Amino acid sequence: MTEPTDAERYPTLTESGRRLLERLREHPHAPLFRNQSGNRLTREDVETVRAFEQEIAAAVVPEQREELASWLREFLQRCYRDVPFYRALGGVPRRLGDVPCVSRADLGHDVARFVPDSAPLERLINFRTSGTTGHPLLIASHPLVAASYLAFHRRALGRFGVTLQASSGEVGVVLLGYQRKCFTYVSVTPTQNEAGLVKLNLYPEDWRHPDDRRKYLEGLAPEVLAGDPISFAALLELGASLRPRALLSTSMTLRPALRQQLETTFGCPVVDLYSLNEAGPVAAFDPALDGHVLLQPRMLVEIVDDAGRALPPGERGEITLTGGFNFCLPLVRYRTGDYAALELRRGEPTLVGLEGRAPVRFRTQAGEWLNNIEITHLLAPLGLEQYRLHQAPSGALSLSVVGAAQHEAELRAKLLELFGAEQVLSITELDTAAGKVLQYSSELAS
Amino acid sequence: MEREGCELSRLMRRIAETPPEFLEEPRLGPQGTVAVSAVVGDLCRWHGIQPESAALDAFAIGTPKSDRKRLRVSLLLAWVLAEDWFRSVDLRQLPVLGLLLHGASELCEYATVEKLVADAERREELARFCLARLGFRPQGETRAQAEDRLTSLSAAERARVLRASRDAEARARAVREALARKAAEESADKYTRE
Repeated sequence: MTEPTDAERYPTLTESGRRLLERLREHPHAPLFRNQSGNRLTREDVETVRAFEQEIAAAVVPEQREELASWLREFLQRCYRDVPFYRALGGVPRRLGDVPCVSRADLGHDVARFVPDSAPLERLINFRTSGTTGHPLLIASHPLVAASYLAFHRRALGRFGVTLQASSGEVGVVLLGYQRKCFTYVSVTPTQNEAGLVKLNLYPEDWRHPDDRRKYLEGLAPEVLAGDPISFAALLELGASLRPRALLSTSMTLRPALRQQLETTFGCPVVDLYSLNEAGPVAAFDPALDGHVLLQPRMLVEIVDDAGRALPPGERGEITLTGGFNFCLPLVRYRTGDYAALELRRGEPTLVGLEGRAPVRFRTQAGEWLNNIEITHLLAPLGLEQYRLHQAPSGALSLSVVGAAQHEAELRAKLLELFGAEQVLSITELDTAAGKVLQYSSELAS
Repeated sequence: MEREGCELSRLMRRIAETPPEFLEEPRLGPQGTVAVSAVVGDLCRWHGIQPESAALDAFAIGTPKSDRKRLRVSLLLAWVLAEDWFRSVDLRQLPVLGLLLHGASELCEYATVEKLVADAERREELARFCLARLGFRPQGETRAQAEDRLTSLSAAERARVLRASRDAEARARAVREALARKAAEESADKYTRE
């Protein structure tokens, strides 16, 4: 594989941006950055993203009814013409409800069939999902799509009165992880005059000294901190003196107690985003509406039952998406595996009672707490179709997995290496007919 | 074949009644009598399409050995597309020139003009082929019925389906390879990660 160059990673990098990258990498308390990446935006792309940000800021997200989505017909026709998977289904049905739903399993089977013929392959990038619902995924994307996330973040932050201001020489965002293995790097954001972007891991192994984490973050003074509830919990333990303008939380359910603690500690709003690799930021939690307000004007959200039938407003079911801004992976009736009801609250379409992927922690024999993502990474190389891991109050683990007999020896070896040789572990065949898999669960209080 | 077209019998009747002038030899250099490019140009303008002269050149250049067959089919297709029903639908955004040029090349691989006119099955094939390439299905048929019938009738269509399937597989392979490149693996900046 050819190694990309810095000119490809940062096509518009100026001298001031280069100096900032150097400062971020060579800071006396900087962590070990394990990877390299960049914005990959050309000058033209930067203009496109800025125009998109303006469009999204001004757009209205209408009530989620097929007849109000003026873009939908043309979008469906394009998908059925340009995307191999949909083309194979024949003509475009008259009603969206007659289009069969697709799921993570369909994307996981062969994502190439969902990439439009018109998508430019030379700039294709990928995002890997953590597979918290049982199907690890490779998502086709593009630098423009990745950069366009910020348009929806700005829209969400605007609800809390926050306008991003970080600029040249400052750090716009630090993305926090807390995992044994984490993709970490530094970059700049050209749409923000090359404000810095740092993706780092708070796991102690990535640092020369554990206290460097606090010192580095304080030295960076980022305008925004992004992470998940687990990395934010780790951040709180550092006792860092930071004054960000906002925290963006994704990936897992943010419990009210943690939100409150974060808001009190950092003196800023914490925006809980419902965001998927497959679709980008879909909704942001607004405490005033007690629900997640939809963010994307060119996305139609349906709530469907098990048979894929759209449910009326207020009824709880699976969140299903059509449209979106990832032109490399247009979604048509994509079942997310997440559940909520959809209601109009103060005129805004809002997901109520969103049941996302709650973080689960497991205890090892040595008493160490592990994030469920560690298990996901550990088992990823085995390419398991689906599995479920549960920890009983006694600490005993039970793993149900598709193809248990085939993988048992390897699974046992891997899990005992992580949890300790004395760990009680049962491995059984997963009953896939039992419906949605709650992948991780624990009866141990963490 | 998203849209419903006209009755198949209407087009088949027209093909059976092709005037002898449309079966004449195409003009290629000193040989032949019919200037196919002029016929195609007239047809396009009749449908409100303004073809560029470079596009029409493809119907005037070549040698009798390599281009006679395809131009004879182009001429026959021009006769079919002059049916009044085609005038009643707007063809301006449809691939009329593609049908006359590439469609003719595909058809001439499997049938002569004489056969396309004289043989009832070939007439049906030609009528269905014209409609399908412009996105129509015969009146009264579902898309699936129309596709099945065309594929079973037409060697050209079968070849097209095979080619499309090969192209789709090649594209899927190219997508998988592009996604596996180091640059794709490195991904790009997002303000949040899921």
